[in-house]
Amino acid sequence: MKDPVEQTRAQMVDNMEDQRKTISELQTPVIQVWEGILALPIVGTVDSARAQQMTEALLDRITATGASVVLLDITAVPTVDTAFAKHLIETIAAARLLGTDVMVVGLTTHTALTLVHLGVDLEGVVTRTTMAKGLELAFDRLGFEVVRRTPLVDVAHP
Amino acid sequence: MSRIPVIRVEDVLIASVLEDVTDSDAVALQSELGHQLEVRGAKGVLIDLSVVGIVDSFLGRVLAEVAAMSRLLGAPTVIAGIQPAVAVTLVELGVRLAGVRTALTSDAGMRMLREGRAGGRHVGRR
Amino acid sequence: MSAVAEVIPLAREEDIVTARQRAREISRELGFGAVDQSRIATAVSELARNVLRYAHGAPGDVRIRALNEPSPERVGVEVVVHDEGPGIPDVHAALRDGYTSSGGLGLGLPGARRLMDELTIDTATGRGTTVTIRKWRR
Repeated sequence: MKDPVEQTRAQMVDNMEDQRKTISELQTPVIQVWEGILALPIVGTVDSARAQQMTEALLDRITATGASVVLLDITAVPTVDTAFAKHLIETIAAARLLGTDVMVVGLTTHTALTLVHLGVDLEGVVTRTTMAKGLELAFDRLGFEVVRRTPLVDVAHP
Repeated sequence: MSRIPVIRVEDVLIASVLEDVTDSDAVALQSELGHQLEVRGAKGVLIDLSVVGIVDSFLGRVLAEVAAMSRLLGAPTVIAGIQPAVAVTLVELGVRLAGVRTALTSDAGMRMLREGRAGGRHVGRR
Repeated sequence: MSAVAEVIPLAREEDIVTARQRAREISRELGFGAVDQSRIATAVSELARNVLRYAHGAPGDVRIRALNEPSPERVGVEVVVHDEGPGIPDVHAALRDGYTSSGGLGLGLPGARRLMDELTIDTATGRGTTVTIRKWRR
């Protein structure tokens, strides 16, 4: 027979973990763009604590939704430096251990050159310049094709 | 005999790792899988870690070796069900499970092996 | 101010499992999240294995205790892994990734250090080894 005090304490510990997860989720907007596809826009500077939080939130969403593709959008990251690259690589590595394909989108010429100069090798990670291009590839990976139902009408030459 | 049971389903060797395996259990699993592959062969190996809450560098290394060994013996390996906390820890520890395919669940893992999508780099659809 | 330590002797390889499971449970009770529980347990596992592998059968143990500091106010866990073995001759080398003295895997010390907030080693040839690790709740 479990001691009531012990039970309450166990409940409190469970609640703490739930709260921690909720806070983490609120701070990291992981968006399910389609069944099996998650998108995570990274906005602003990412320090070690935030990187860990983001990774945990992402992994929790992956297990919750059974996602097979994740699109990490770095468009809004102001500085791509060695520290950020390390966090990015670690997040990608962890997500891959869950069996997820990770793509990084939002690269500009500037960030690409920065990564090259820093000697960062996004080893085998698929990258695209825009979310749209990343989505296209993600759909293709999952066996979807996006087809326009009616052809566009050219107003100037009907 | 390893405390980790190995069963054969659809010609895939499946090992469901228990929550608290000792180093010897891990090594015994490696031997058992090696033996089965040598004697009878298999289409693939599926290692289920879904109930494992702690994976340290030793178990990580054994798993990487099992995958490499199995590939050489003609059977791709899929490791399924790595928990988020374990994934983060393994990455921080620096354990590289390079070239090992992973899946979220055992079902997904079996699908990969059944459809021949577990060997080499990712090709085509899930 | 801190609680009494829980002591787990290290004599057989099963004790590595016991030590890491207890470390995880105690961390959980102290309010650490799932990932930190895994980090702490894994670090303990690495250090406990070192004792069994490299202490040449000398006695060793793991002592886990809660940490409570008033200012700044923080809660943490401390694990002290001790053995009466031959000691580590070159600690700096041991803390470098990939170091190994017996042809086996690296000593697990660099890994444990990465996972924890603090790691200190007290060792000398013939004096045994004491590794103290700490992690604070964020």
